Amino acid sequence: MKVTFKITAQLLASVRADLKRSHPFAYERVGFIVAGLASCPGGVLILAREYRPINDDDYLRDPTVGAMMGPDAIRKAQEWALFQGHAIFHVHTHGGFGMPGFSGIDLRENAKFVPDFLKVAPQNIHGAIVLSHDAAAGQFWQSTESRSETIDEFLEVGVPLRKWGSHGSF
Amino acid sequence: MDRFDRQSFLGSNSSEILDRLTVGIIGLGGGGSHEVQQLAHLGVGRYVIVDPDTIDLTNTNRLIGGTLGDAELEVPKVEIAERMIRGLLPGARITSIKGHWEGALEDLKRCDVIMGAVDSFVARERLECFCRRYLIPYIDIGMDVLELGETGKFLVSGQVILSTPGRPCLRCCGFLDDDKLKEEAKRYGDAGGRPQVVWSNGVLASVAVGLLVDLVCSWHSKSPDFVHLIYDGNRGTVVPSPGMEHLQKKPCPHFPANETGDPGFDVRTLIGEPVNIGEQGDEASSSPATSQRSWWKRMLDYFH
Repeated sequence: MKVTFKITAQLLASVRADLKRSHPFAYERVGFIVAGLASCPGGVLILAREYRPINDDDYLRDPTVGAMMGPDAIRKAQEWALFQGHAIFHVHTHGGFGMPGFSGIDLRENAKFVPDFLKVAPQNIHGAIVLSHDAAAGQFWQSTESRSETIDEFLEVGVPLRKWGSHGSF
Repeated sequence: MDRFDRQSFLGSNSSEILDRLTVGIIGLGGGGSHEVQQLAHLGVGRYVIVDPDTIDLTNTNRLIGGTLGDAELEVPKVEIAERMIRGLLPGARITSIKGHWEGALEDLKRCDVIMGAVDSFVARERLECFCRRYLIPYIDIGMDVLELGETGKFLVSGQVILSTPGRPCLRCCGFLDDDKLKEEAKRYGDAGGRPQVVWSNGVLASVAVGLLVDLVCSWHSKSPDFVHLIYDGNRGTVVPSPGMEHLQKKPCPHFPANETGDPGFDVRTLIGEPVNIGEQGDEASSSPATSQRSWWKRMLDYFH
C-alpha cells in the first residue's frame, strides 16, 4: 500500500513557523497535524487539514528529551480522532536541510502513543511526521496489531509543487 | 542530443520532473486537445484523460489531432488524445477513460494537477470541489462567443484560472456564483452547439500549460498560486482580472480545510480487517463493510 502525505504549502509554512517558537522550558515544540484520508489506486492519501499546536501547559519537564507531551495533550488529540473523525499525525522538526529521520527516542515514543489513536478511531491510519526546513519524513500505523510503516511520499501543494519520498523527488 | 535540449532552461532536472508528473485532463475537445498536445511535446509522462464523446464533423474545426477519417469512424476523443501522446511519447503512462469524469474519481485522485476544459459552470464547480477535497491544483480554461446586440458582430472572450487548495477559488474571483448556476440549470437541454474556434482555444490552452509548467519548474521568479486571467479575443489580449492582485492575500471561505478526504473512509476495508460497525466487541464478520474486502481475501477466507 503506497501512502502519500499531502499538505498545502501555506499550512506547512505555518507548522514550521509555530515549531520555531521557543517554549518556557522545553527545548523544542511539538504539535499535531489533523488530516482526512482517501483511498486511491494502490494506496492511501493523507490530506492535511489543520495544525494544532500543543498548549504550553501540556508539556512535561523532562531534561532527557527535547520535548515531552503530557497526558492531556494526548487525550485532546484522541478526542479529535474520536469525535471529529480526524487522522492524527504528531509533528516536530529537526531543522536543517534534506531528508530528516526519526531519532531512536522519537521511534520509541511514537510507538508508545500513536497506536492509542487507533483504539479510538480504528477506521483511520495515524502516525508521526518529522520535518526539516525543506523536507519531511513520516511513519504510520494502520492497526494496533501491525508495526509502523513508512510514509512513501510527500507532496507540498503550492507554487512550486514539490514531491519527495521513496519514488524520487521534484 | 536530448530531444528536450531546447527547453533545458526550465531547470536542470525539468525533464525528470515533467516525466514524473501525473496530469488529469477533463474534456478533450477544443481546449483539452490543445493541452494534451502541448503536454506531450513538453514531455509530461503520466496522464489521466477523460471524455465521454466521440469526434463528429463539427469538432474538426478545432479538435487538435482529429481528422476527417476519425469523424467518419466516430473515434472516441480519448483515443485521439492517446494517439497524439503516443506519437511523441511512446512510453507515456496513460489512463484513458471514455466516460464522464465522475466515473473516474479513483484515477483522478492520484493526479498531481488537473486541467479542466469543460463546457458548463456546474461541471467546473464540481471539478473544483473534487480538487479541493483531494488537495489537487486545478487549472480551468473556457471561452465564449457572444453576439454584441443585434449588430452581427461578436465578442470572443475567455478565462484561465489557477485554483490552488487553500487559495482563492472560482467563487472567490466571481467567475462562479449561484445566479450563473441557476441560469445555466434553466437553460439545461437547449444549449445547442456553442460557437468555438481553434485559435482562441489555443491561446487559452497555451496559457494554461504555461501555468502548469510554472507550478513544477522553477524557471523564473516565484509565480502566484492564484491566477485569474481574462482573454479578450477581439483585442488579442490576456490580462490579469481586475481583482486578481487584491485576492492574492485573501483566504478562501468556500472550501473549509476540514473537508479533505473521502467521507466514510475506513482503512480496514482496504486491508481486509473485519469492521465492527455495531456494538463494541461484536466481531461483525457479516457487517456491510466486510463485503467490500478484496475478492481474493474473501476467497481465501472461504477456503479456510
